[in-house]
Amino acid sequence: MIQTRDPEPIGRVVATELKPATPHQFHFWTANETTIGIGAIVRVEEPGPGKREGGRVVYGVVTDGFAYSDLATPLHDVVSAEGDPARAAESPSVRQEIRLWTAAVLRQQPEEPLQPVPLGAVYVASDADVAQALRMDAYVSGAQPSGIPVGLYTAAGLEAPVYLDADFLLGPEAAHLNISGVSGLATKTSAVEFLLASIFEHFPAHKGRVAALCFNVKGPDLCFLDRPGTLDDADRRRYERLGIVPQPFQRVRYYAPFKADGVNLNTLRTHPDLVGDVEPLVWGLSEVLDFAEVLLNRDDIDAKADAFIDFLSDRVLNKEFDDGFGGGHRVQTFADLDGLFRAIFDGLELSGRSDMWRTHHIATIRKVRNRLSNISTRCKGLVTDDGPSSDLPWGGFEDRTVYVVDVANVDPLGQDLVFARVVSKLREHLERRDLGVEAVVVFVDELNKYASGDGPETYVRKMLLDISERGRYLGLVLFAAEQFRSQVHRRVVGNAGTTLFGRMDADELATPGYHVLSPAVKIKLATLPIGELMVRHPHFTQPIFVRFPRPAVLRGRDGVERFPPAADLSFEDAVVRQLARLDRRIRPNQVKDLIAERRPDDVRRALAAVRRTRPDDALAYFRRMLGARVAPATAPAREAVPPLNPISEEPY
Amino acid sequence: MPSSWVDAILAAGAVPASYVPDASAGRTDLEGFTGADGVEDDELRTYCVADARPLAPGAVAFLDGIEQWRVVGYGGVTPIVRGYVAAAVRRRGPDRRLRTAGEVSRELAITRLDALAEPLRRALAESGVAVVELAEEDAGQPTRAIQAARRELERARLAEERGLAERCLAGLGPDEWLVVDGVLSDSAALSAHRRAIGVIKSHGAQYFEGAELERALTLPAGHRTSVFQPRSRGARRAIYSWYLRLWPWEGNDLLYGLLRVEAHADAATVARASALSAWLMRERSPLSTPDARWDRLLYPIHDVETYLRSRAPRDVLSHPASRLPRTGS
Repeated sequence: MIQTRDPEPIGRVVATELKPATPHQFHFWTANETTIGIGAIVRVEEPGPGKREGGRVVYGVVTDGFAYSDLATPLHDVVSAEGDPARAAESPSVRQEIRLWTAAVLRQQPEEPLQPVPLGAVYVASDADVAQALRMDAYVSGAQPSGIPVGLYTAAGLEAPVYLDADFLLGPEAAHLNISGVSGLATKTSAVEFLLASIFEHFPAHKGRVAALCFNVKGPDLCFLDRPGTLDDADRRRYERLGIVPQPFQRVRYYAPFKADGVNLNTLRTHPDLVGDVEPLVWGLSEVLDFAEVLLNRDDIDAKADAFIDFLSDRVLNKEFDDGFGGGHRVQTFADLDGLFRAIFDGLELSGRSDMWRTHHIATIRKVRNRLSNISTRCKGLVTDDGPSSDLPWGGFEDRTVYVVDVANVDPLGQDLVFARVVSKLREHLERRDLGVEAVVVFVDELNKYASGDGPETYVRKMLLDISERGRYLGLVLFAAEQFRSQVHRRVVGNAGTTLFGRMDADELATPGYHVLSPAVKIKLATLPIGELMVRHPHFTQPIFVRFPRPAVLRGRDGVERFPPAADLSFEDAVVRQLARLDRRIRPNQVKDLIAERRPDDVRRALAAVRRTRPDDALAYFRRMLGARVAPATAPAREAVPPLNPISEEPY
Repeated sequence: MPSSWVDAILAAGAVPASYVPDASAGRTDLEGFTGADGVEDDELRTYCVADARPLAPGAVAFLDGIEQWRVVGYGGVTPIVRGYVAAAVRRRGPDRRLRTAGEVSRELAITRLDALAEPLRRALAESGVAVVELAEEDAGQPTRAIQAARRELERARLAEERGLAERCLAGLGPDEWLVVDGVLSDSAALSAHRRAIGVIKSHGAQYFEGAELERALTLPAGHRTSVFQPRSRGARRAIYSWYLRLWPWEGNDLLYGLLRVEAHADAATVARASALSAWLMRERSPLSTPDARWDRLLYPIHDVETYLRSRAPRDVLSHPASRLPRTGS
């Protein structure tokens, strides 16, 4: 709906020698009672040669405001009130006051020659003016519109939709979005949830299919995206104005690793009504080895260790391999790998011939073994010792689907591993164009932690840099959130084409990155209410304030109240639940009888096989994978191994 | 032992003073002693207005005028003065804000036409500007001509003010007062109106002498004199008047903070002189600084002046640029 512009001017441009109008900034005064405020968009009309014949038109956004009276010095106010503040209000006359505003130019028409803003009348911007001022006319209409609603510009009684350009939000022209704001107001997460809904609704058909992959890194934030939240009439009106259906995401896939027991999911979405939707995320040796660098301290990654890991990946993993001491190995799991290591150590010790094995020093081998074998301990539940993996549907990503990877309760090392591997796989498939969608939005919260500006050079940070610098060509788009933008790596935030700001901390606003903002804009940012954002986008020459409706999904904290997480089940019950989820005919007692006196690792392995295969008769398949019942036996004592030769040139 | 003769006289009882405002230095049209008749009291007395209940009109209109001029040319040695006069009424309602209720302005040329060459006369005639002629005896000497031009301009301003005031009176509401910057007695309509008062800041005319003069000019702050009737001078109408001290004069000047108020000559004026004075005392706030006359200039009158100056043509006053001769480079 295009609103008609109020023909009454609300102000007038003034210019003095000290405060001149320039091509980028101007000043205007208004009546004391005005609807104009910081962030309002105005239109300046240069008087034309004839009636209604317009000259230059300038659009600007108010960045600062001043009020002052004709009082020469505060002392005079004290004198006139005879020192009594109460009497000051009793003055028969109110002093003359002025409301003077500073505005930054958004656009001039005509754009050339670029000239100082004319001393014309100032009008409140209409819908059409907002579109012109923000250059949205270039991409909201036309043969292939690419506008993505980001919120409503609300000022002076006007609510005008503000659109981002999909080409600049999701590539290929520019891409990525960064959102900053203080914690605890739920603005950052809400904004991303709303924007994802907006993208799914308005992503242009000619750009193909799009999906989102969200890392849930804290609490239950993203655990209820498929459940409707509470909206009020104002929210619904805003959704209608923005052309978005206020509904939760229609397709959401949840993934979470197991807890250390290997059968209970490590997520807050464990309510019996919901846990059935959560897929386990379990990786084995082959999934992890490529990302061993993530799991090792930087000090560990010397050329020798790196070379040995490469050797394992290239020559050993999933291949028939002769250890050189007469033993044959086919390494597929951590357990297999440990067997190989044991064979190498035993072989070297028993032969006593050298400290070197296939050009790798035994100390290097021991160090790599030590680190890798710890992985399954440190990331228990995510990394399995010897079971098959359960992974995201690489190659089968669906259009307009949100994939939530819940790593909120995972060890930080495990979070790094998940992030590194998932993003690498996304990149790999997008490069091959076989992911299933043409663009993926990856949402990462807590960027202060993962891409800190002054932290160590981690694998995750390198990956984030890589996405932010090259992802747009692939359709790999980073939506990142953090509390302190100033503490995030400059190249990560610098490559974000679109930046959103929620309420900001005053200390953060005092950092150099915000010097381009006026004091008034900073004050507005420091007091921004929930649901309001400041937007910077390549088409907007100045930051714009917008208001967005609450996301139509259940908020995390409401979700855990409505769907409280279930207590952890016993091993048997958890196995029953997982099998019953795959085949509703399965009775608990059948499963419990089957797994009685079985080793938990055997049960977990069989369960993983059923999950991966998804046979018609899950119970029969589970029974077959479980194999014949084996009486528990004590492990054979290890042979005594002679000590290693203590003389070594290896520096470790 | 006093350190100087100034200290000595202060020690002997002289009231300390410091500032001599322009008005006390005298004006070109300084009026002499005219005398006055007691109305409220036979002999001039002082009254404290602190306990009086201030008059609180629902609305008040304030009237003032300005004049600006510059010599824009010479015909021979006869100056041609460009003058601008304007007057405005700013009305204050219950919201305490001042808004323009009426204004007039006029531009005029002041010169002696028959002292100008024919082309100059023709140019003035064709321009359509109103020309005010100087008297022959004033036009001979340039300095004298300029003084005469200023007097003509003041007359023109007073005429505009009077005309606007009389139109304003016609539209005055039942609970509305008109406050004029200057005397009422110039206008029959103003001096006859029961809700018009004149506030006079300059004290060229003297109505008392001896002890009464001292009583009037050493009036304490927050006090007024008895109501008196200035003796009629020329065509001026009967009016009642009294002095009112807004700010303590001690340490400044005898006329510091001293106003003379004029109002309709009737018994009601006497009855409400204290209420009117208490109202004017309230008008001390806000101060009309940075105007140098702030001790006597009511803020609303100052506001009218500010308004008129902001509306005046920008090129009437001389440009403040240097008047040094231009160099060849």
